[in-house]
Amino acid sequence: MATTTHASFVIERRYDASPHRVYAAWSDPAAKRQWFVEGEGWEIQSYELDFREGGAEKSRFRHLKGEETFGEKTIFGNETVFNEIAPSERIIFTYSMDRNGVRFSVSLASVEFKAAGAGTRMIFTEHAAFFEGGDGAQLREAGWRELLGKLDRYLKGAAS
Amino acid sequence: MTKRSTTHATFVIERDFKAAPAKVFDAFANPQSKAKWFGGPEEWEKSNHKLDFRVGGKESVSGGPPGGTVHHYNAEYWDIVPNERIVSSYEMHMDKTRISVSLASMEFKQNGAGTTFVLTEQGIFLDGYDDAGERERGTRELLDQLETYLNK
Repeated sequence: MATTTHASFVIERRYDASPHRVYAAWSDPAAKRQWFVEGEGWEIQSYELDFREGGAEKSRFRHLKGEETFGEKTIFGNETVFNEIAPSERIIFTYSMDRNGVRFSVSLASVEFKAAGAGTRMIFTEHAAFFEGGDGAQLREAGWRELLGKLDRYLKGAAS
Repeated sequence: MTKRSTTHATFVIERDFKAAPAKVFDAFANPQSKAKWFGGPEEWEKSNHKLDFRVGGKESVSGGPPGGTVHHYNAEYWDIVPNERIVSSYEMHMDKTRISVSLASMEFKQNGAGTTFVLTEQGIFLDGYDDAGERERGTRELLDQLETYLNK
């Protein structure tokens, strides 16, 4: 029996880099891989980014140490299609998450970049549909907060 | 340059149909069935409807009042559970301007001999061209057309 729950959340962050630089961390495949994909304890099996409207981003990854939520044998799949790209201003994309080939969520997300002094105010909004065995809004929001923290560390590292 | 604005809204429409879930699902899944009810008001000119109903498949249709703005619907299917659930994302353009991107979930639940149908739209409305109230009104009209088709 299919079960579907819906949720939305918003995360706002300030970065010390200009909108152009923050946007570049999303649009450049090598840059995005550093903060979005690479991470300690994760094995990246594949990653590709075709950053254009209608283009796709695909990754497959596995948690090496295992953790409380998902065992280490779980292979995650992430597929994204970019709906809108307005350079340095706005990105809108749809993405799905699979666990061992079974889809457990589909989301629509927007990222807005606004100049704030010498830096950037970035607003990430996600609308999600979670399916049977899905992670739910709390874990998803926590995951994105962690990723956007990694983006901050990437921007600080890339600036030096 | 257009001033960019991004407005987020969610609405839910629930309908009880006399038809069984398999028949209601077919009205979305089968291109011949869907073409009979899915589109703008009757007086609109309508281009050919294309539907490739599978995960990763696409759907498109365009239409509008004669000589007026052409409305383009472009969707992609992200999840399909036969007779139970369909999840798609879709974009609306007015002529060449993208006015919204939405995530639409359709749930089909057995209710006696009929179906309780629940549509949830989580939408992003762009640059002030459209809003959730207008979209919900339009969607309710579409579901009226679906009901008329199902009752035939």
